[in-house]
Amino acid sequence: MAVKGIKDKVAIIGCDATKFGELWDKGREDLLFEATQGALKDAGIKKEEIEAVWAGIYYYFTGMSGATVEDILRLDGIPITRVENYCASGMDAFRNACFGVVSGAYDVVLACGVEKLMDEGSSGLPGFKIFGHPVLPLPSAPAMFSMAATRCFHEFGWTKEDLARVAVKNHDNGSYHPKAHFRSKITIEQAMKAPMIADPLGRFDCCAMSDGAASLILTRPDLAESYAHADDYIIVKSNQISARTNFPWYVPPNGPGADFTSFPSTVKAAKMAYKEAGITNPRKEIEAAEVHDCFTITELINDQDLQFCDRGMAAEELKNGTFNWDGETAINPSGGLKSFGHPIGSTGCRMLQEITKQLQGRAEGRQVPDAKIGLCHNLGGAFSVASVTILGQRD
Amino acid sequence: MIGIKSYGAYLPKYLMPRELIAKAWDFPAVPGTKAIASVDEDSLTMAVEAGLDCLSGIDPKSIDGLYFASTTQVYTEKDSASFIATVLDMREDIITIDFTDSLKAGTTAFVRAMDTIKANKDISSILIIASDTREAEPATMYEFGYADGAAAFLIAEEENLPIVIDDYYSISANVTGPWKRAKEDNFIRTFESKMDNQIYIQSITRVMSEIMKRNNLNPEDIDVAAYYYNNPRTHGRISKRMKFNQGVAQNGLFFQVGDLGTPMSFMLLISAMKRPKEEAKVILAGFGDGADSILMHVQDRRALRELSKNHMGMAGHQKSMKTLQNYNVYIESKRLLTKDRYVRKSSAVTMWRDTPTVYKMYGNRCKSCGTVQYPTIFRACIVCRADDQMELVKLALKGKIFTYTLDHLVGGSYLATPVPRCVIDLDGGGRVLLNMTEIENPEDNVKIGMEVELTFRKEHEGADFKNYYWKCRPIRGRF
Repeated sequence: MAVKGIKDKVAIIGCDATKFGELWDKGREDLLFEATQGALKDAGIKKEEIEAVWAGIYYYFTGMSGATVEDILRLDGIPITRVENYCASGMDAFRNACFGVVSGAYDVVLACGVEKLMDEGSSGLPGFKIFGHPVLPLPSAPAMFSMAATRCFHEFGWTKEDLARVAVKNHDNGSYHPKAHFRSKITIEQAMKAPMIADPLGRFDCCAMSDGAASLILTRPDLAESYAHADDYIIVKSNQISARTNFPWYVPPNGPGADFTSFPSTVKAAKMAYKEAGITNPRKEIEAAEVHDCFTITELINDQDLQFCDRGMAAEELKNGTFNWDGETAINPSGGLKSFGHPIGSTGCRMLQEITKQLQGRAEGRQVPDAKIGLCHNLGGAFSVASVTILGQRD
Repeated sequence: MIGIKSYGAYLPKYLMPRELIAKAWDFPAVPGTKAIASVDEDSLTMAVEAGLDCLSGIDPKSIDGLYFASTTQVYTEKDSASFIATVLDMREDIITIDFTDSLKAGTTAFVRAMDTIKANKDISSILIIASDTREAEPATMYEFGYADGAAAFLIAEEENLPIVIDDYYSISANVTGPWKRAKEDNFIRTFESKMDNQIYIQSITRVMSEIMKRNNLNPEDIDVAAYYYNNPRTHGRISKRMKFNQGVAQNGLFFQVGDLGTPMSFMLLISAMKRPKEEAKVILAGFGDGADSILMHVQDRRALRELSKNHMGMAGHQKSMKTLQNYNVYIESKRLLTKDRYVRKSSAVTMWRDTPTVYKMYGNRCKSCGTVQYPTIFRACIVCRADDQMELVKLALKGKIFTYTLDHLVGGSYLATPVPRCVIDLDGGGRVLLNMTEIENPEDNVKIGMEVELTFRKEHEGADFKNYYWKCRPIRGRF
């Protein structure tokens, strides 16, 4: 019987992402078209070679169904599926694309993500509703995550300054990335003095609204030998997703995640992904990680849940430089969501193409030294869905 | 020479018989019909129609400006001219202006276009469009008159124009005739219609007489007089007072299409353009807070006839107009029927089904592991994952804050913020998320571990349906 899972069975042979930002002059049509053109060019193939597509799109107004993608790419009626799984939509599209290859159904597939947030004229995520209940309260995304921050301050003694350090590090990294939405460095004082959004999270603790798209071309490793990146294609070591409750605030004190200082979906997805990839010491084995930093507190908690440091220690490790781009584990060497913004459906694919380029030594101006194994992570909804992908260099 | 190079018009599809209006309110019968815009039309869309008609056979990129005239422009801030110019595919390096707030805005835009062209060597043509959808209050005499339509002229400086502008004359007068209150009212009002009528007759005869005098013209020299009117009888009195020959004063509009507002005089002129006389002298006059008169003459009869072949104008639209059979259709298409345009922001079904959770504040107790949990809608236990082991339990209306945030952006609003959103462990079990009400200085006063009471409040309203739910408050001492 074949070995369970997707480890070493999928190769990334081409990828690209658009510039992220407030792209008033670009539609979702331009964004997904440009990202996919870039990925095809990178792989050295024509679009006619793509046999199936999975596209991460979160909002209905960015586009419903595979038809949205067909209108943009014109692939002559091949199978295309829209994937929605909160902030993990893009990475879940990638997961499904992997299955398409691993199952033997297809040789060459496209995984992509696109989101057009800035056409809606809204401050904060538009029409954010996970549950259409008339009265049960639904906090905004900053409010959800700030309830975790309040609890971490209480449990670990973390402060606003600890949060600010995440923003400072990520904006510092982002200043070197030509495709980032924000390319200015900031200071701790700036971050701490910014207006409050949901106490204790201020403006610099939150990622921005952005537009963007990213695309990846996948095939089997044996076929990858015959494409442009024959020598440096990237291998998928694992990809796992964990879905938990939409309502962490109703979890009783003896239930999973009731402490608000850990995200049980991240913990579970990480455990499954490390097991599949055969990783026993993530901090030592993973050089570069794109970790979901929708809010500064999210990155700190994720650092712990992904086992890059001990519980309660993330703030101190960050302060000591462990997570800098040249630290023990580079967290968000691209600048993360803090620098790129978070066009929901595209973020997962944006991370995957970023880590691919890091492992290929192509991350010009922001290259993590000796990056051999990389990780991508999304956390979506009310800490509800986490997705972890581990990528490695070819043998 | 500066003059009219082209014209265009738009009349909406439907005609409202005045007889039906009279019948609806038991008013004495009034003959004729009036043109009414469809529900998806307004001054902007009708202006586009008139503009398209005017530019038939003309490259929109060749025009240097667009002046829009209306008393019913769709926005008070944000002009219509630039919007219309975009839809008509005109260039970006043009001038666009809205002329608003007065019934003579049409003729005022007309003379300003002429001035602009005269004053600026880089501007040789301007499209002017007048368009109005003036609303009359139902069950008033105004309902018989106010109608909808649009008309356009392309004013240009070049040789061989069909009509050449010779002169204009304007007066300004601060008289409150028909007026529309800024905010509180949807309808046009008048104080004293007899005085309005007198001022109207005085103003319009004065500007027409003055321009004739300035140009040494006698009444019998005038071939076409197109002046604004909203009442056929008054129109006749003006014609008499001006001593115009029979058939000079154009009156073929009100009976069929009604009082069109700013495009009224334009439309009268356009309807008179079908059989032009050689060298015909033409007066165009507009009224409203003063008056404008414009003197023109037909220079090229053939070119003018050509225009009438290639543009719908009045007649082209009139052919396809349809008379409504029902007053109610009119009143609904004008959105005059007071209806609650209901936007649902709740679900009576969900609220009924979730009564134990949302109204009675019940939780579930898992018979397998004993954990009390909220809300009651989930059937598998979140702790031991046992299926269908739930029994309803009444939760305490009192508890302690486990964690919270102070939300500064509630529902996209910064008003009355921050709102504390609190995760509360109720006494005896059940963890809930509730907004806090009646808390002063939440930054100082909300804390982890703080004791709170639950209080039943109005959460939000949509379409007058009130959604009630529980909030928490600092302890007031309820037993």
